This record gives sequence, structure tokens and C-alpha cells, in this order.
Amino acid sequence: MIVGLQISALIFSLVMIYFALIHYKKGVLNGVEMFFWLLIWVFSIFAVVFPDLLKIFARTFLFARLFDMMVFGGFFLVILLATKSYITTKKLEKKLEDLVRKQSFQYAKKKQKK
Amino acid sequence: MKIAIVAPVFNEEKFIPNFVNSISTLGYPAYIIDDGSVDDTPKILSNLRVKGTKVRIFKHNVNLGKGAAMKTGAEAAFSDGFDAVVFMDADGQHDINDFPKFVKKLNEGYEVVFGSRNMGMGVPLIRYVGNKLASLMISFLFGRYFSDILCGYRAITKKAYKEIKWESAGYAVETEMVIRTAKCKLMHCEVPVSTLYLDEFKGVSLIDAVGIFFDVLRWRIKL
Repeated sequence: MIVGLQISALIFSLVMIYFALIHYKKGVLNGVEMFFWLLIWVFSIFAVVFPDLLKIFARTFLFARLFDMMVFGGFFLVILLATKSYITTKKLEKKLEDLVRKQSFQYAKKKQKK
Repeated sequence: MKIAIVAPVFNEEKFIPNFVNSISTLGYPAYIIDDGSVDDTPKILSNLRVKGTKVRIFKHNVNLGKGAAMKTGAEAAFSDGFDAVVFMDADGQHDINDFPKFVKKLNEGYEVVFGSRNMGMGVPLIRYVGNKLASLMISFLFGRYFSDILCGYRAITKKAYKEIKWESAGYAVETEMVIRTAKCKLMHCEVPVSTLYLDEFKGVSLIDAVGIFFDVLRWRIKL
């Protein structure tokens, strides 16, 4: 059961590295971002293949089980990314609104001249 | 006081010709903002010829929402030197005969004038209940009672606009205006207006209402 879970997590991590590479090649991610994502997924692979390595962290942070720590870490990461994504979306919405408004002013000006 | 009409428009091909004709009889300049319509509205607007009244057309290349369209109209009108604007919905639900009531109140010195619909007359029950619940919620959270928070027929002066400049791009704009008016302690009043519901599928939906509910809670904390 554990091996099955490990294999799934390993495949998922490798697929995510592949996605990161594709987006890097397309220019969506820059070098620093690519390095950050690579680091996360390589760390995930290590954590999946050698789960005992993380046990020491689990004990240090007073988690009863390693799995609990992984779930906590997952939630932490998801909330962090969701917040960042929300703020980025808000900023983009504002920029889009300003741009569309500017264009509408130019349109009205052009129409008035005719 | 120099007053202009601001009308946000989205997919109103059925109503826009009549709307423009009716507001042209008022004799006030109008700012019509096409908020990225995908029907024949842009075509109708670009072919529009109105005698006498000055009508300026603005076009959003993408649909931003009612709040953003109202902001575009207000900013354009105020930068053209107008002292106040009256917002009207372009779907024909607002009666132009109520327009002088807004002008009168603005001339009396009110900074914000809200239209208040007679809720007993032809307003769908779900909207009536929703509107009253919203009024009670605003009253409870912000200490001011407004009888019709969601009515889009309203007027605002340039000075008041600078103070309550809203951030909502969508249908939450009406609620945000009410809350900011209360928070900034602006001189405001309500005038009774009549309303015709010509298009049942437009306006604030249940999903919008849920979003507005959370926005109100956010403003309670933020403002």
C-alpha cells in the first residue's frame, strides 16, 4: 500500500517537473522560478523515496506521525499559493480595468473627432 | 449645477434605441458606456444620431462589469467639467419622469441621491425579500438604513465621487456606494422612483448576491 502511494507520488512529482520544464522553455517561468519549482519537486521525490529522512523533522516539530507533517506541509503550501494567486489576480484585474478604461477614452476621443 | 447622465450598457440591443431617444428629451448630456456587449449594441450605438443632446459613447473592449462601466462614465463626465452625474440603467427600467427629482435634490445641496423603488409594485418577490434583507444587514452593520440598496437610479456629485470612489467592478457597486456614503457621512437622501422590469434575466443573480454578502463583511472590517 505504502509502495503504491510512493509510486503515485513519484510519478506526480516527475510529471510536475516536466510541466515546469515546458513552461520554462515557453518563457512562462524565468530561471529563478524554474529553480524554485525544481527544488520543491526534487525535495518531494526525496521525501517520497526516503521517508525516514523526514522523521527527524516530524519529531522535532512534535508531529505524532510523518504523514501528519506531510499533510500539514501540503495545506501550508496550498494556502500560500492560493493567497499569492488571489493577490496576483486582483492586481491583474485592476491593470486590465485601467487599460480598458484608457482605451475607451481614446475610442470616445476618436469618435468625437469624426 | 452642470449635470450629466451616465448609463452603463451591456447587451441591450432591444432597449438601447428607445433609451437613447427618451433621455435625449431630457436635454442633459449623456455618457453611454458599452461594457463589452456581444450583441448588436455596439453597432446600434455607433450608428446613433441624436439631435440636440450631446451623447458621448465609450466602449470597453472586454466586459468589466457594471461598477467599472459606471466608473468610466463618472470619470469621463467629471473630467469634462460636470458637477454631478445621474446613473441610469439602459434597459428601460428607470422612468425618465423621475429624473427631475434627482436634479432638484442635487440643487438643494445633497451630495448623493438614491432612488428608492416602490417595492410593492411589480417587483419580483425574491428581489423584494433579498433587497429588504440587504437593507437590514447594512443597517445592522453600518448604522444607517437605506430603503433600496440595489436601485441603480442614483446621483452623485463630483466631490462625493472623490470620497467614495468605489473599487467594485461588478454588481456590488451599488452596495459599496451606499456603505461608503454612510462611512464618509455624506449628505444623502432618497427619492421615490418607479421601475419597470422588462428583462427578468438581468440584474443581480443569486450568485452575485452571495458574493456581495461576503463583500459587505469585508467592507465592515476594512472601511
